[in-house]
Amino acid sequence: MPALSRLALVPVPLGNDGTEFAASHLGKALTIKGRLETIGVVHIYGTVNGQITADRLVIGAGSFVEGDIIANDVRIGGRFTGRIYARHVTLDGTADITGRIFHHTVTVAKGARIDGRMPWRPLNFFERLEHLREAQ
Amino acid sequence: MNMFARNDKSFDANAASTTPARDKTEAPVPPLAEPKRTPPPAPQTYEAATPQTRVASVISKALKITGQLESTEDIQVDGEVDGDVRGVSVKIGSNAKVKGTVYGDTVELAGTIEGKIEAKKVILTSTAHMAGDVVHQDIRIESGAYIDGHCRPEFGKAATKSAHAAAKPVATASAGSVRDKPGSVAEIGTRV
Repeated sequence: MPALSRLALVPVPLGNDGTEFAASHLGKALTIKGRLETIGVVHIYGTVNGQITADRLVIGAGSFVEGDIIANDVRIGGRFTGRIYARHVTLDGTADITGRIFHHTVTVAKGARIDGRMPWRPLNFFERLEHLREAQ
Repeated sequence: MNMFARNDKSFDANAASTTPARDKTEAPVPPLAEPKRTPPPAPQTYEAATPQTRVASVISKALKITGQLESTEDIQVDGEVDGDVRGVSVKIGSNAKVKGTVYGDTVELAGTIEGKIEAKKVILTSTAHMAGDVVHQDIRIESGAYIDGHCRPEFGKAATKSAHAAAKPVATASAGSVRDKPGSVAEIGTRV
């Protein structure tokens, strides 16, 4: 799958002082054009245009995200266009999704709008994504 | 009638055989006909819906962004940004690194910037590492701050041009150092 190499996760250089990282919070007024990479938690309430790599990602209601997502756990309550690669996906009732959702488990709340396919993948599919992260 | 009687009997027999077992285990299960009316679970709230910090946006230490950030609110950067940052009040934390131009009304630098600062008010704290020019109106440099670049008090004078990082060759040649605004410089960093 050639797309995966493009989506390969790259480690974030970190200080060795902290085991726990505060969640990143991207407020309503913030617009990002580009790539986001973290091994921690990201909460997005604004606009992001680009690839997002995170352990846990929350896209709040009222936000707009366009691009690919690679994460362990994704929760979406906003508008999203692109592909999601995540072990666990939760779509809130306010979610508006266009694109594919590669998942192992998925939860969809009543009211969510999904335009696209939701292919199931075994857990090792997502491990492969992480191997790529470690390899680089 | 016969049929009903038989059914009743068999039902009783079943009930009799199952009840002791039930008593041992748990409370009887409510019949299917009237399911327990539980209110729908309250929707889970996002943990960070009301962040503890007062800053509108926080780029935490573990986050690396390659690209542009634009906000009409405050931004706190503790991670790594490879690109431009635009905000109202921009704080670059002590372990943060920005490669690019930082625009804002107020820019407070405690980390590293490789690029440029364009802000009305610039504060370089003691841990600041600034590799590049600073375009400001008002600047404070604390002892220990590192600057490798020009400090030009030109913010707002060419607002439209500088906002897009347009080069101003005439101005750059002459406008030299922090001495341009001696009154506001409390302490000059080690290397200017």
